Amino acid sequence: MSATLRPLAVEVRDVTKSFGGVRALDGVSLDLAEGEVHALLGENGAGKTTLSNILCGLYRADAGEVIVGGGERHFQSPAQAIEAGIGMVHQHFKLVNSMTVAENLHLGSPDTPRVVSARALVASAQRMMDDIGLVVDPTAKVWQLSVGEQQRVEILRVLARGARVLILDEPTAVLAATEADELFAVMRRLVAGGRTVVFISHKLNEVLQVSDRISVLRGGRHVVTREAAGATARELARLMTGEEMGIEVEHREVTGETVLELRGVTSRNSRGVVALHDVDLSVRGGEILGVAGVSGNGQTELAEVVTGLRSPEAGTITIDGVDVSAASTRRIADLGVGHIPEDRIGVGMVASAPVKDNAILRHYRSDELSSKQFLRRDRILAFATSIVEAGRVQTRSVHMPAGQMSGGNQQRLVARRESLLADRLLVAAHPTRGLDVLAAKQVQSAIVERRDAGCAVVMISDDLDELLVVADRVAVMYEGRIMGVFDRASFDREHIGLLMGGRTEAVAG
Amino acid sequence: MTPRLERRLDTDLRRTGVSRLLGAVTGLVVAALLLVLTGRNPVTVLTDSLDAVFGSKRGIEGVAVQSVPILMCALGVALSLRMKVWNIGSDGQFLAGAFMACGLGINVEAPGWLLLVMMAVGSIVGGALWIVVPAAGRAHWGVNEIITTLLLNFVAVQLVVWASLGFWRDRASQVTQSTRPVPVTLPRIPGFDSVSIGFFVPLLLAVVLWAVFRSTKVGYEIDTIGGNPRAAAFAGIDVPRRIIVVMLVSGAIAGLGGFLQLTGAPGAQALNGGGFSRSYGLSGFIVAALAGASFPGVIVAGLFISAMFYAGIALQTKGLSVYIIFGIYGLVLVGVAVGEVAARYRLVRVVAPDTSPSIEAVAP
Repeated sequence: MSATLRPLAVEVRDVTKSFGGVRALDGVSLDLAEGEVHALLGENGAGKTTLSNILCGLYRADAGEVIVGGGERHFQSPAQAIEAGIGMVHQHFKLVNSMTVAENLHLGSPDTPRVVSARALVASAQRMMDDIGLVVDPTAKVWQLSVGEQQRVEILRVLARGARVLILDEPTAVLAATEADELFAVMRRLVAGGRTVVFISHKLNEVLQVSDRISVLRGGRHVVTREAAGATARELARLMTGEEMGIEVEHREVTGETVLELRGVTSRNSRGVVALHDVDLSVRGGEILGVAGVSGNGQTELAEVVTGLRSPEAGTITIDGVDVSAASTRRIADLGVGHIPEDRIGVGMVASAPVKDNAILRHYRSDELSSKQFLRRDRILAFATSIVEAGRVQTRSVHMPAGQMSGGNQQRLVARRESLLADRLLVAAHPTRGLDVLAAKQVQSAIVERRDAGCAVVMISDDLDELLVVADRVAVMYEGRIMGVFDRASFDREHIGLLMGGRTEAVAG
Repeated sequence: MTPRLERRLDTDLRRTGVSRLLGAVTGLVVAALLLVLTGRNPVTVLTDSLDAVFGSKRGIEGVAVQSVPILMCALGVALSLRMKVWNIGSDGQFLAGAFMACGLGINVEAPGWLLLVMMAVGSIVGGALWIVVPAAGRAHWGVNEIITTLLLNFVAVQLVVWASLGFWRDRASQVTQSTRPVPVTLPRIPGFDSVSIGFFVPLLLAVVLWAVFRSTKVGYEIDTIGGNPRAAAFAGIDVPRRIIVVMLVSGAIAGLGGFLQLTGAPGAQALNGGGFSRSYGLSGFIVAALAGASFPGVIVAGLFISAMFYAGIALQTKGLSVYIIFGIYGLVLVGVAVGEVAARYRLVRVVAPDTSPSIEAVAP
């Protein structure tokens, strides 16, 4: 049966929404059928998130209608939307970090009894997980979980409320290949049961793999809705951006000196568990070392020990021959090391401070921007403006709080700032996560540019496709260990994928 | 049509300022209504207050004298507030500063000017010492500074009471609870009867602090810690050390306020138990909160609160309790807090959903 002949779950009619004079959505009309995975594709700012937020009751449309189950609905709150069976999993998690998984799953649910024991909550959470087929330790506190695990809790929470329409805002952005495959299986099972999954993603291959129908938004307008069968990634990318996709990276023989060297580095994570286990790595100038792995296997801690945010328990780290095992963040930055952190809002920025203050976060002590104890305010303004322009950060003004910019622009700001700092080494943790095709391409080009300027690059990503294109070598991490390092000649997708899942038997052969 | 509040997506400093001011005015209006309920004419109270403050040179001088301890406490609180550290203990630091200054003043023989300098330095040390434990606790073990600084206020009061009743008690005088008066005072401003040159200290200090936060690295670092401590650590700032230093300076400013009071305010040259501070720390905290930790704002709000405070004292002769003033403070503060939140929303009229849905803004 063709998707269009299925009964409709939600109809969107001529929905328009403006923010401060900017049209985020302009007369968008869409049908979501029961029992389909419906992909929403578009660049950052195309209106995908705005549309989803209207569907799930966070925003109200300025004009137009949302029809659910035959009747027009005006959700005043997410609670009303979920009552009507529409639930959303957001890009930024809305979990209580200090509570356990079981507590979070029951938080705010009308079905949770007023008085309940921790054990009953855990048992009930376990039942939910068994029903749905996604498993997270129900007794773990949320802050102890990896980003991927936290997202699983978010998905569980919405499904547990009995959502008929599940909106997933870039759910795979934080997942590795195996986790994403599990998620897709769950999505297929949900739609087989008659539910609707709205799947927002930038990853065209995933969209093609899992969706029944695909709707493309561009600049707040609905471009097309079509069956996924027969669509190609190239065609979709053109519809999204109006231009061809993909970055071409030239790989030459690496001749630079060794910049970064780790020997036997062991470190614990914030929970006190060993997260890096006897890690040996080296990166040369003019080389991009990709670090592949399912998120939560020590990549975050690797970036932190190299940049001085975490001290290793054993082993040595040298940068250009200088032992930095016990060096401070400041000292390491002074050696010419830039760091695009995984959590750009939580670690890399001060969201409440103006863009200009964020632009100088890592440079304010330089002779260019300050003399003795004083900041050179005019130069700071010029410096911030140049970062905004060169990094193509879209902001109304450098005086605006950085937190008011979109996530993509925040990422561009941090990426540009850290690239400027990185004379010798750039550590980029998930630099393109959450970015659309065009923005990701810009960030990747910026990283390749640093490499071509002789800088050593450690690029952590859970998007193996990206690493295979950009990196000169790929190291695979699993449970805090380096499972293998591959140069371009020996890139083997399947083999790397197995190692990411901890399967070593293939290596022996 | 139903009115409804909708959250604004942007913030605007001017709108926030206007909204806070409207909140303060609303608080005063509610206070006026309460005065009516107690059988007083708020208009008379207002005109009497204005008359008490602006009607005579004495009134202006009284406000100026009153403003020094309040502003000093407020500046200390505002400084730590820039780092999102809540120093509720400026009353205790103020008393500790006065205690040190008094101890030096009545026990050390030195030429007048030297003694004044020693007392000033002593008060700075005293105020800083009084916040050492909260600062170390907060910086290194994440101990909530609100609790520790607050509780140390009570300890400081007891210390001063002990000194006034016991080891520094003035045995020659008939007063049971007072130390000897300190032998030195700050010179008066020429042309004024009661205002000492100490009046200029908080004003100068506010300018210095404003400049520090406007154009120095240290100011930027403190604001960065206040905005996001993890980003500050990422930027290479030694966050625990900065927290300790800023908290010590915050305490030292309040402590210096104790010195200025002891040597500058008429009739305050001796420690007379906990009454030496008329809840200056509380007033200072309210001023800092009203000002939103802006230093020029502290001066404006501080003079306003000082005028209210002075008027309240002057009106006691007309049978008005000073506690009414604290009640009015509270109402003003609540009004400003509500105003600050209100600035983030706007009122929209929602057309009934059965017609075409449209939203019409009624407020800009």
